[in-house]
Amino acid sequence: MAAWLSLSLILIPWLGALLVWRTGDAAPTRQHALAVAFSLAAGVAALVLVPLASPLVVFTLPMGAFFGELTLVSDGLSTVLAAIACMVGALAVIFSVDYMRGETQLGRYYTFVLLFIGAMCGLVLSGSLLFLFFFWEITALCSYALISFYNDDPRAVAGGVKALIITQVGGIGLLAGALAVFASTGSYQIADLLAKAPQIAPGLMSVVAFGFLAAAAAKSAQFPFHTWLPDAMEAPTPVSALIHAATMVNAGVYLLARFYPAFAPIPGWTFAVMLVGLASALITAFMALTAMDLKRALAYSTVSQLGYMVYAIGAGGVFASQFHLLSHAVFKALLFLAAGAVIHGVGTRDMRQMGGLGARMPLVRVVFVIGALALAGLPFFNGFWSKELILEEGLKHTPWWAYGGMLLGAGLTAFYTLRMTWMVFFGAARSERHAHDAGMAMKVALVALAAGTLLTWLAVGGFSGLMEESLPYHQIHALGLPGLVEEILLAPATYGALGVMALGLALGWLLRGRAGVSPPALVEGLSRTSFGFDWLNGHTARGVHHLAALLQKTQTGQMNWNLFGIMAALAAVLLVLWWSAP
Amino acid sequence: MENAVYITLGLGAVFCAYRAVIAVRLLSSMLYLACVSALVSILLYLMGAIEVAVIELSVGAGLVTVLFVYALSVVGEDARDLLSVIPKPLAWFTILLVAGLVAWLTFPTLPRPAQDGILSLKEALWQRRALDVWVQIALIFSGVMGVLGLLADTGRGPAAQPLEPKSARIAHQPEEDAE
Amino acid sequence: MTPLDIVLLVAVLLLGVAFYGLLITRNLIKMVVVLQLLVKGVVLALVLAGNVGGRAALGHSIAVTVIVADTVVAVVALALAVQVRLRFGTLDIPGISSLKG
Repeated sequence: MAAWLSLSLILIPWLGALLVWRTGDAAPTRQHALAVAFSLAAGVAALVLVPLASPLVVFTLPMGAFFGELTLVSDGLSTVLAAIACMVGALAVIFSVDYMRGETQLGRYYTFVLLFIGAMCGLVLSGSLLFLFFFWEITALCSYALISFYNDDPRAVAGGVKALIITQVGGIGLLAGALAVFASTGSYQIADLLAKAPQIAPGLMSVVAFGFLAAAAAKSAQFPFHTWLPDAMEAPTPVSALIHAATMVNAGVYLLARFYPAFAPIPGWTFAVMLVGLASALITAFMALTAMDLKRALAYSTVSQLGYMVYAIGAGGVFASQFHLLSHAVFKALLFLAAGAVIHGVGTRDMRQMGGLGARMPLVRVVFVIGALALAGLPFFNGFWSKELILEEGLKHTPWWAYGGMLLGAGLTAFYTLRMTWMVFFGAARSERHAHDAGMAMKVALVALAAGTLLTWLAVGGFSGLMEESLPYHQIHALGLPGLVEEILLAPATYGALGVMALGLALGWLLRGRAGVSPPALVEGLSRTSFGFDWLNGHTARGVHHLAALLQKTQTGQMNWNLFGIMAALAAVLLVLWWSAP
Repeated sequence: MENAVYITLGLGAVFCAYRAVIAVRLLSSMLYLACVSALVSILLYLMGAIEVAVIELSVGAGLVTVLFVYALSVVGEDARDLLSVIPKPLAWFTILLVAGLVAWLTFPTLPRPAQDGILSLKEALWQRRALDVWVQIALIFSGVMGVLGLLADTGRGPAAQPLEPKSARIAHQPEEDAE
Repeated sequence: MTPLDIVLLVAVLLLGVAFYGLLITRNLIKMVVVLQLLVKGVVLALVLAGNVGGRAALGHSIAVTVIVADTVVAVVALALAVQVRLRFGTLDIPGISSLKG
């Protein structure tokens, strides 16, 4: 049963992608209907799979000696993430029915969205490192194609290419690690790696561990690869919600969580992970303070919250990070979709041209406030529980300055969240833009996610129990609901954190009048260039271009020289053979 | 005695090959190629590969030569002794290196010939290497398609066209187009 | 020096001459002639390898395959050369190179 469900999580969306593409752009209603149907089917299948999680391999497909076997393992970590991908995917597709109404080339859009959902499920369900990489690459392709969906807009294309290049550079780390694992253990299977981890040479293991860290940091837009996510906001908003908030960027965190037992003993690894998370969380929280583009602010916020998850893994709290992943996926998707409703209604992403929209978009305002409160970490929303859990773990296992930094981040989060909410929905209308309320499909998706934001924390007992049973190497201890409540509410650190957040909120409230004012030039410059990293990216790109132009000289286009090249290579090979002959 | 035959044939083949490569007129080149084909075919027969020798003679010396002559008639002879693109010393050096290494690597390891098994060419080709036969059929088919496509719109015109090429490179200089 | 040694030497020399021709030739049709020479050397080497390794029939059958393949190559290459002559007006290899480096 689990085998069929796992396989269908990949194949149903892919079949849907094929059918939507074949339907053709002349029948948009049918395309919408097909996309919704298939994504919902995948969502239901994913939910049914969750209780069936087990550490055993449920599906095996031999692919020859070189590629190993394609295995699917549906344990607690995989199934919950697959469920998130499919459910949020279904809601994003439902939202797209309204958002993308009247757009051309819907076939391309839905095909890539569905292809992505299937590939993401394959990524988390895969039990083989090589096929994990394979699905990883497919998600990168879909991400690029969807960011550049409006391919007449040069900024969209530039954003897509930038995202592709940066995530692929990280992907090299993943491939190198996978090949190193194969070279030393003879198998691509993740279970084999986790079992044999203590026996692998520490030097090789370090290479694998840091390679995976690089891949995860690039995919999740963590420091120092954090520059691509804000530029990826050129994508249609449902895509931003699905790929760049709730699923693909989680792939990096998933990678770290999955391989934590193998890499934790490596000296310096957990410290590096913690640093990456801390730096990402703080830098992007600062950048969100001054952002004027609504989606950009949300993008910075996403990177910041992913930093919390990465920090949690560095502190050893794998369950805490996955719990926050669940909360974040729900409330960030909610925020993005609500922002999408606003942008669709008002026609601009610039927050300085919004204001007072709450009167004309009451439902959107309510759900956005719910999402914002969860993001800020106010009590009893799902963000509160998961963020506090992370901070608890951080307090226990990381240095005081790291914990302090994360606390500061929490305060900053509260500040910029209030600023964002105020600028869009409250206060006086800053421009004469006519805003219409969200359509029915949008409302359905938004309400569903809002309900999730209020309720997902109740699943903590089931979630942690599932992870304890089905992840034999991770040694996770199940935390029941009463246990969670007790632990959080009785810890003094919680109240300290709440105090910082209250401070942030107060500051935001006091400064709300100046929210639309541009910050001092230095701050703005730092924000715009992502603390200098964009400048670095630009220079690297230009350097590569120069090198390519230089190398072009060898392509004379004359056959004789090409043949000479072949013969020179042949001579080199023969020389090597002659040299190594006994 | 036997060696002498082999040496004569071999040297003849190499000499004709060399003349084919440095010939100025294309027709001479093709005729030398036919000679090489014939000599190689005799060598093959002497080594015991009778069917291969026959195929080599009829295809290499017969069919290919006819093809070349046909192409030459369509295209027109163009006998000019132009300098080569790659400087001759460089070419000599590379070839000597490659040929020398190949000879060095293969010569000492030549064992005495063992007795063959039970296999005949017929069995080898049609049963053991049956895939090869399919590949050959596919190759021939695609070759025919290719030629049909390529020669679809060529009449008998080109031979009458003037032989002015688009650019003449007499001296040894690579293309120096303005960027 | 057994006959087989001589044949090996001849094969290597033929290959060497053909490689030299590949580097030197400027004419497209001459290039096809040189490729044919290359294949003659290869066929010799294949049959020789079959004899030496004790699997003569296998060597023969592969040699037949190679001859067929290379004949098809020659045919298509000649047809291409005819078209090139039509469209570019010349068979000179440096002259028909249109890649701008």
